[in-house]
Amino acid sequence: MAGTSPSDQRPPLVEARQIWKFFGPIAVLRGVDLTLRPGEVHALLGGNGAGKSTLMKMIAGLYRLDRGELLVCGEDASAMTPVIARQAGIHLVPQEPMLFPSLSVEENVLMHVPGNRKELRARLETMIAEIGAGMTLSTQAGQLEVADQQMVEILRGLIRDARILILDEPTSALTPREVGKLFERIRALTAQGVGIFFISHKLGEIRAIADIVSILRDGQVVLAGPPKSFTDAEIVAAMTHVEGKEGFTLGRAAAPAEHGAERLRVEGLAGEGFADVTFSLHAGEILGLAGVVGSGRTELAETIYGIRPAARGRIFVDGKPLAGHGPRDSLDAGVVYLPEDRQVSGLFVNAPLVWNASALVLHRGREWLPLARERADFAEQIRLLGIVCSSADQPVRTLSGGNQQKVLLAKCLAAGPRVLILDEPTRGVDVAVRADIYRLIDRLAGEGLAILLISSDHEEIERLSHRVLVMNHGYPGGLLEGSDITINAIARLSFGVGAKMDAAQ
Amino acid sequence: MIIRFLQRHREASVALIIVVLFAILGLVDRSYLSFDTVLLVYGNSLILFVLAIGATMVMATHGLDVSVGSIMGLAAVVAGLLMNAGWGIPLSIGVALLVGLLCGLFNGVLVSWLKVSAIVATLGTLGLYRGLVHLLSGGSWIEGLPEDFKALTKAGSLGLSPVAWLVLVLLVVAHFGLRYTAFGRSMFAVGDNREGARLIGIRVNEVQIVAFGLNGLLAALAGVIFASQIGFIPNTAGTGMEMRAIASSVLGGVSLLGGTGTVLGAALGAYFMTSIDSILVLLRLEAYWNDIIAGAILLVVLITDGKIREAVDRLLRYQKYRKFIDPQAAGPQADAAKAARPLKTALETSEARK
Amino acid sequence: MKLHPVLKRWEGVLALLLVAEILLFGALNPVFLQPSMLLYATSDFIHVGITALALTLVIITGGIDLSVGSVMGLSAITLGILWVGGVDIWLAAVAALAVGTLGGVFNAVAIHLSKVNPLVITLGTGFLYGGAALVLSGLAGATGYEGISNFDPAFVNLANLEVVGLPLPFALFLALTVGFMALLHRTRFGRYVYLIGQNPRAAAYAGTPVFRTLVVAYALTGLLAALSGLILASYFGSARSDFGSTALMPAITAVVLGGTSIYGGSGTILGTALAALLVGYLQTGLQLVGVSSHVSSALSGGLLVIVVALRSLSEMGRVWLQHRRVLRNVAAE
Repeated sequence: MAGTSPSDQRPPLVEARQIWKFFGPIAVLRGVDLTLRPGEVHALLGGNGAGKSTLMKMIAGLYRLDRGELLVCGEDASAMTPVIARQAGIHLVPQEPMLFPSLSVEENVLMHVPGNRKELRARLETMIAEIGAGMTLSTQAGQLEVADQQMVEILRGLIRDARILILDEPTSALTPREVGKLFERIRALTAQGVGIFFISHKLGEIRAIADIVSILRDGQVVLAGPPKSFTDAEIVAAMTHVEGKEGFTLGRAAAPAEHGAERLRVEGLAGEGFADVTFSLHAGEILGLAGVVGSGRTELAETIYGIRPAARGRIFVDGKPLAGHGPRDSLDAGVVYLPEDRQVSGLFVNAPLVWNASALVLHRGREWLPLARERADFAEQIRLLGIVCSSADQPVRTLSGGNQQKVLLAKCLAAGPRVLILDEPTRGVDVAVRADIYRLIDRLAGEGLAILLISSDHEEIERLSHRVLVMNHGYPGGLLEGSDITINAIARLSFGVGAKMDAAQ
Repeated sequence: MIIRFLQRHREASVALIIVVLFAILGLVDRSYLSFDTVLLVYGNSLILFVLAIGATMVMATHGLDVSVGSIMGLAAVVAGLLMNAGWGIPLSIGVALLVGLLCGLFNGVLVSWLKVSAIVATLGTLGLYRGLVHLLSGGSWIEGLPEDFKALTKAGSLGLSPVAWLVLVLLVVAHFGLRYTAFGRSMFAVGDNREGARLIGIRVNEVQIVAFGLNGLLAALAGVIFASQIGFIPNTAGTGMEMRAIASSVLGGVSLLGGTGTVLGAALGAYFMTSIDSILVLLRLEAYWNDIIAGAILLVVLITDGKIREAVDRLLRYQKYRKFIDPQAAGPQADAAKAARPLKTALETSEARK
Repeated sequence: MKLHPVLKRWEGVLALLLVAEILLFGALNPVFLQPSMLLYATSDFIHVGITALALTLVIITGGIDLSVGSVMGLSAITLGILWVGGVDIWLAAVAALAVGTLGGVFNAVAIHLSKVNPLVITLGTGFLYGGAALVLSGLAGATGYEGISNFDPAFVNLANLEVVGLPLPFALFLALTVGFMALLHRTRFGRYVYLIGQNPRAAAYAGTPVFRTLVVAYALTGLLAALSGLILASYFGSARSDFGSTALMPAITAVVLGGTSIYGGSGTILGTALAALLVGYLQTGLQLVGVSSHVSSALSGGLLVIVVALRSLSEMGRVWLQHRRVLRNVAAE
């Protein structure tokens, strides 16, 4: 671990004091304090929507802060812009690579870098060789795999001799070997006095590289200090909603003594990003589908629903094969999918709530729209799901994240599903809504619906599922049942370490 | 292989079409197949060349300007009025170019700062600038332009007029300027990924405004060339040229979605559009075949291009997911991944138990 | 600041502007206020309004159709060629409408097949259809300026017919406005049009028949553009290939000024209809008070620029004010 001497007298590279940021009426950051010293790796940890990325984009000048103070190298930088950030030696490697897909690797990295082209190109070539990335300078960035795109983003920072490097989940798409290389690079940089913000979801990585860790939740820093002074349990407790737990009146869902008839059976299914998946799902059952991001969970769900093509294998609904199908066929068969990204794939955010709620059932009615019934049906759903809104005509975007999610659920439920696939049903929603959604899922299963629950939140899977299928790198990593379903077991299987460890023991 | 090459180098496919067009001409009458024909078409393409350079710049930033025809007309009228008022040729042209620059900058401000969609903003200024043309000219043609001015587009050294040489220089400068200078690259960066460009410190709005401004300047130059070529200025000068300019650029591989394209491609597109015209005349076919041929070829190129891109995407997708979709073809790497796959048997036994 | 309910809707603002405009021109020249003047002036621009109605659908789906002007010319020339060839005028008119509809279908199919931006595809088909009209008229030996004339008097009289006291083209426009309002706001097809424009991806996830919806929207646009071409042929008593060349930009202007977002997802038929009248009467009124027709077209261009810039600015202002309010509330806490 690269250490910092406590007697370091240089001013901090970045000092954030009581930073607030609003998106519309919603506070994303609520009085955040944060300090980055030269030669330090400062890790940021927190769930989705905790405000980490917003905070980092603010330091890089992409967003302007609304209240508070931002100091860079001791100087006021509250009016930060990307141009100023660049001059101050700040470089952000964003979570989603922001490359220019039509330009080459070289053009992407060297774009807007002052200096001699030839020298820069030579340096870049050495860097690529050192890092061991498999790309050439002339490769078009759009053709690179995500891991390599991430590498290009990191190279951009390195070639600019950034003093403050912000890495937003840099390892999410990297192999362990590449992660090792990256960490070597980070240690070399910190030895030269570079300060690094490092966002990650992986505790192991944070323990390996970070000097300080700050944990954000709901836009506030809830825990900060050297990682070694906290236990894993303390960190996880700080990240998740400890006080929110009281809101969850339900205990762990007990596996029903007897499942109903088989609703969905998948046999040897392979497709874009997964293979050899076999499982069955019964009425009244909640099957959890766990695994890290990129393990093929969403691809599997989208293939069952008919958005992506299946390469091999068969899908049966109520014993009847479902082949060569699209979403419409799935809907007609009673298979309904709640997409993970509600803004992009799920909702029509600028359309009235009521249009969203009826979007899946339009094709079942007549050509002439039954406007009155549409409204009455939605009013019923508002009541059932507890959607907080002022009018059925207001656009979805004016609702809070939790209420938007409820509208999405209303849309799915309106289709009268027999099999419901929920992809991250509680992503970015607050504690109260989360509890509502958990209760709803339990109730729906109780009413005999077959539910496939996809989630990155192991706790959520553990609490709700009767059985859990864990995906690992696109292949089924294991199936857990009954008392075997524990957060630890899910985590071990998702990272694929479980098997080896078990074998070793 | 050839398809992939043509896909990557759209300039090559347009060049190929032009060669085919000339070959047809040669089949009809060998004597037409001469350097003079090439020069003739070049001379007729000057206006479209200049407009295509501007369109490439604006489209590179993910913009679009449908007002260039009106800017052309406005600049021509301004130059004509000033010359006839005795301002002298260089000064008149200078003022006309300045007017074009201002018109372009105004378009850019509407699009970048006021966030009006490019097609709507320039649709409005299309009418606005055309109205100014009529207001300034008082509704009548401007005639009696100085002979020296007309001489600018009369053939001179090596069969090319002074303006033709200027346009050649412009094409070369613009082509390399857009490819190899920091500002040129930043225009493409803005169109390719606006947020990404902002992140690396490019002033995205300002870059786009400048692109619009230069486009206005070039449209004004096109207007001046037009006036010099035909020797008088009708009120309709430049009408409909915006569509031809955009079509030329698109044909030459400039994407309306921003970020890709070269001046060379756009120029070849412009050369093609004009060559149909000239070749129809040489083949003694009626000029009315022009648009239908241009439209048909444009559509064939666009649809083929879209189809090829789709096939390439499908191939990339297949390669990305090959180890899952087609494990046999994926080779030893996938086998290793499969071997490392844990607990599959456990899953199967668990399923079997049920 | 409290807004009157009428002003809260863009159509309300447009209606008020329309009334104000008519009163203003009436004050400058009382002739303008004569009902027959107001009604028959529409014949000069109503073809733009009719095309704009259907174009609204296409733009709401997130697409655009630059070929409508060419389709107008093509439909008129088709009519002319068939008439010259001895076909019954009414049969020829039906054939012209069919050609326009097919043009629209071809647009949608080409867009769907190539997955290329509708702007580019319809730019190409615009050249193609316009070129086809030129070729047809050329083959028929019609001179560019006069075109094909000597139509059946019954057809030429159509434009001057009155229906319940209204000129036939204007009555047709009103009927189509009502029809398209019902289609867009009351039918499943109309809902699909909005949903596809709002979020094509979510529409695909919801199993929306995207391609079928687009085919119908573009086909209707082709049909109404062809109808506009016929109206012009009847009004002028002749058919020319360049009939629609000046109609494209005003039609898009009417749609955008009517409140339809050029990015798709929102807009109304009523707004388009009102904006078409607003722009049309602006031109007529200006000509009546002595401004040349060319300058008046500049003013409608200027109007478009000002309106969209103001709308954009007011949206920025609204966001800024909301932000200020939120910050103040936080400070107060």
